Amino acid sequence: MLEGKFEEASLLKKIVEAMKDCVSSCNFNCTENGISVQAVDNSRVLLISLLIEKDTFEEYRCDRNITLGVGLGSLSKIIGNGANSDYLTISADDDADKLNIIFEDKVKDKISEYNLKLLDIDADLLDVGPMDTDATITLPSADFAKICKDMKVLSESLQIIVTKDSALFQSVGDIGTGNIVIRPKTDIDHPEESVTISLDKPIDLSFGSKYLSDIIKATSLSQKVTIKLTDQSPGVFEYKLPSGYLRFYLAPKFDESN
Amino acid sequence: MGIKGLNALINEHSPKAFRNGEMKTFFGRKVAIDASMCLYQFLIAVRQQDGQQLANEEGETTSHLMGFFYRTIRMVGYGIKPCYVFDGKPPVLKGGELEKRLKRREEAEKQRLDMKETGTLADIAKFERRTVRVTREQNDQAKKLLELMGIPYVDAPCEAEAQCAELAKGGKVYAAASEDMDTLCYETPYLLRHMTTAEARKLPVTEIDYAKVMEGLEMELPQFIDLCILLGCDYCETIKGVGPVTAFKLIKEHGSIEKVVEAIENNPKSKQKIPENWPYNEARELFLHPEVIPASECELEWKEPDEEALVDYMVRQHGFSEQRIRDGASKLRKSLKTGTQGRLDKFFVVKKRPAEEKKGKNTKEEKPKKKRK
Repeated sequence: MLEGKFEEASLLKKIVEAMKDCVSSCNFNCTENGISVQAVDNSRVLLISLLIEKDTFEEYRCDRNITLGVGLGSLSKIIGNGANSDYLTISADDDADKLNIIFEDKVKDKISEYNLKLLDIDADLLDVGPMDTDATITLPSADFAKICKDMKVLSESLQIIVTKDSALFQSVGDIGTGNIVIRPKTDIDHPEESVTISLDKPIDLSFGSKYLSDIIKATSLSQKVTIKLTDQSPGVFEYKLPSGYLRFYLAPKFDESN
Repeated sequence: MGIKGLNALINEHSPKAFRNGEMKTFFGRKVAIDASMCLYQFLIAVRQQDGQQLANEEGETTSHLMGFFYRTIRMVGYGIKPCYVFDGKPPVLKGGELEKRLKRREEAEKQRLDMKETGTLADIAKFERRTVRVTREQNDQAKKLLELMGIPYVDAPCEAEAQCAELAKGGKVYAAASEDMDTLCYETPYLLRHMTTAEARKLPVTEIDYAKVMEGLEMELPQFIDLCILLGCDYCETIKGVGPVTAFKLIKEHGSIEKVVEAIENNPKSKQKIPENWPYNEARELFLHPEVIPASECELEWKEPDEEALVDYMVRQHGFSEQRIRDGASKLRKSLKTGTQGRLDKFFVVKKRPAEEKKGKNTKEEKPKKKRK
C-alpha cells in the first residue's frame, strides 16, 4: 500500500510538467524512503532522475516496494483538474492497476477523486554511477532559463565555456552570434540571487538547444539550478526539491571529424 | 527476396526485438544501406502522377536518381550518415531464384501487353511496375550521383545485404538498412527497415535487434539460418508442406536441417517431401561465410558535395531543377558541419530491468499499453 500526501498539489504538478515533454511515460518506483523515477527520452540523449524523499510529503507510507507505470500526459491532465493549493494524495494498492489521486480543497468542503490506469513499461535503465565533475555552476534558475531561450534564437546548439572566474554561454548561427557571460556574485540579502562557479578544469561543451528547452521547464521547481560539467561527458542540471531533486543528464554534442 | 513468414515468427516469439522510431531518433548513426534494393524500390515507386517513371528530355529514366538524391538528403537532414552498398555478382545458388524472377517479369510483360488492349490504366501501371529491372547503366548513374554528393558507397563482391551486415558487425556503421529479413542471417547487430521509404507514407523506421531475436527464439545463429532456409530463402527450395509454424517446431525439436531430414525420412507416415538434390548445406554456407570485403578494409568517408559537378550532372544531363539541386547540396554541406549529438548510452551502461520485480507478470501485461504517435 502506497499513500503520499502533498501539502500542495502544485509541487507534483510542476514536477510532471517538467518531465512530460521529455518522456511520455515512466515508472514511479516507490519505497519506504520516497518515490524515485529514472526515465530516458526516445533517442537516449536526455535522462531524467527524480527523487521525492519521504520528507517532501505531509504524510507518507509505503509498506512494500511498488512500481507504478504512469503515462505522464494523462497524469498531467488529471492533476491539472486540481487547484494549486489543494491537498493532493496519491495512493495505490500493492498489486494495483490504477493510481488513485485525491484533491482536497483546503477551504471548501470538497473532495475530488480520480484514478489513473497504470501502464506496463518495460524500459532499460541506465547505470548512472558517481561522476567526476570538472566544473560546477550554481545560478538562479530563471536566469539560466532566459540564457537558454535567448541563445536558442540564434542556433541549435549552446556552447558553455567555463574558466576560472566566469561562465560564457555562446551561440553561433546563420544569422549571427551571441555571447552571455556570468561571473560569481554573492548577494547576502538575497542568497537565491547568488552565482557560484567552482572549477577544477576549464570546460568547453556544446549542448542541443532543444533539449535545454526541455530542461528549463523545471525552472518553477526551484529558485536555483546547479550545473555540473565534465569534459566530453554528459552535463548534469539539478533542481532541488524541498527534500529530493529533479536532475537532468544531457549528452553533449561532438564535432566529428568525418 | 526476403524470408517468408520470418517477420511474423519473430513478432510472435520476440516482440521486444522490434522497436519503432521516427527517423530523427537515429541522428548521428552511420547506416549501411542495401543500394541495389533501393534502386528497385525507387524505380518502382518514384513515379509521376500518371504512373509513368520520371525521365529526362532524352527519355532516359531518372526515377532512381530522384530517389537517391532526395531520400539521402532526408536522412542526412536528420543527422544520419548513410553509406550505400551495391550488389556484386549473384551467388551461383541464386541462379534458380533469378530465373524465376526473370520468368515472372516476362509473364508480367505479356500480361501488360494484353492489358494494353483491355485493362484499366491502374492495371497497366501495376504490370508495368512488375516488369521493372535495373540496368547496369542505372547502377553506375546512382554511384556517380553518390560520389558527387560526397556519400560513400561500397561495391560488394557478392550480395549487398551480406556486405551491409559485415560493415555493421565490424563496427563501421551502427546498422544495416534493408527491407530483406535475410540480412539478419548475416548477423547484423541491428537491422533497420523502412529507412528509404517515401516520407509521405509516414512509416516509422523499425529497428530489429539481432540479440533480442535470438533470445526470443531461443536459438543460436546456425539454427536460425536453418530455420530461414526452411522458411524459404533465395538460395534453395523448401520442404513441401512445411510452413512457418512447422518449420519453427521442426528446428526446435531436431536442432538442424540434417536431423529434420533424417526424422522425415525415417517416418514413413510423413507427408512432407524432401526436395531431391537439396543444396541446403551450400545455402547455409552462403549465410555463414558470405563473400564480403572485411569491414576493416572499407574506408567510409563523408565528404563535401561537389556542387558544381552535381548541378552539371543532375540539371544539365538529367533535367532536374537547378534550385532544388543547389538547396540539396547546401543541406548536405550544412549537416556535415553541425556537431553530432551524443547519446547517454555511450557514457552510462544500460542495465536491464531486473526481472524479479515483475511479479504477476501475466496479469500486468494485460494492462493497456500506451501507443506513441
